[in-house]
Amino acid sequence: MSKKRNRLQIIYDILNVINGKNGKIKQTNILYKSNLSNQMFDGYMDELLQKGFIVENQTKGGKTYSLTQKGFDYLNKYQMIVEFTNSFGLTE
Amino acid sequence: MNYAIVPHWFAGYNAILEMVFFVGTLLVGIYALKVCRLSGQRQSRLFGISFLLISAAYFVQSLLNFAASYSMAEGCGMQAMSIPHNLNIAGIYAYMLLFLAALVTLAYMTLKIKNAKAYLFFLAVITTMLFFSSNKLYFFYVISSILLVYVSFYYLKNYLKSRKTAALIVFIAFLFLLIGKIHFIFSINHGLFYVTGHLLEFVAYALILLNLITVIRRK
Repeated sequence: MSKKRNRLQIIYDILNVINGKNGKIKQTNILYKSNLSNQMFDGYMDELLQKGFIVENQTKGGKTYSLTQKGFDYLNKYQMIVEFTNSFGLTE
Repeated sequence: MNYAIVPHWFAGYNAILEMVFFVGTLLVGIYALKVCRLSGQRQSRLFGISFLLISAAYFVQSLLNFAASYSMAEGCGMQAMSIPHNLNIAGIYAYMLLFLAALVTLAYMTLKIKNAKAYLFFLAVITTMLFFSSNKLYFFYVISSILLVYVSFYYLKNYLKSRKTAALIVFIAFLFLLIGKIHFIFSINHGLFYVTGHLLEFVAYALILLNLITVIRRK
């Protein structure tokens, strides 16, 4: 069984899924690929929208999500963030 | 108020060391806030704020000690750093309050709770106790040591959980800070403890900076 993911890892996974199909992915697809419960997923999506990591787009086919610059920055600096938070005991 | 005894030969060096601590802790604080901006992580924000408070405390202390070493150079010789000037008294209070606020923030961060009222209550109790204690400097070093025992224990647990060298370095750094603060308790009567306290703090902040540099270089 794989190790339990922490908060930073889950955010990375969600952003990575969105990055894979930037601007074209629907919420149900993200939910499916991020491997989270409905309740947890809603909490993370709300947080990511509120903190400006992702934006919601209205299209003919419904709502889709794409990364903001902050979201791209998170993906690029993820390894550094993990190193810093682990060594200074800042994991939540 | 009682004051730490500074050996004559160390006057000036203490202020330089404190300026080094100021720069080192400022860098760590800024970097933690950068991580917070990137990740939106609350723990990093609290850690960053606590290091910026420590940095501000050392800045104030360094200015005070530069002024004190200047007055000693004027011909006072080895003396208790009794500075009658109201501004200097305010500076010593500012240093103690900033440092205690930093340690309370750090301890609050390690508790991993989200309760601003609890944080403010904790801070208010310690500040009030400082103002009403008969020996403020002694109280400051004792309460700092107690808070550092708690924070060091947290970092020990963090190391035991991860078993990574970086986490071990941070634990050792906080252990040095703790031993340094305990040394300062005795520096109220013995100048040599004051020097040792500074050297222990130097090792602690050097280790924290080393860890930060390692993280930055790996990215």
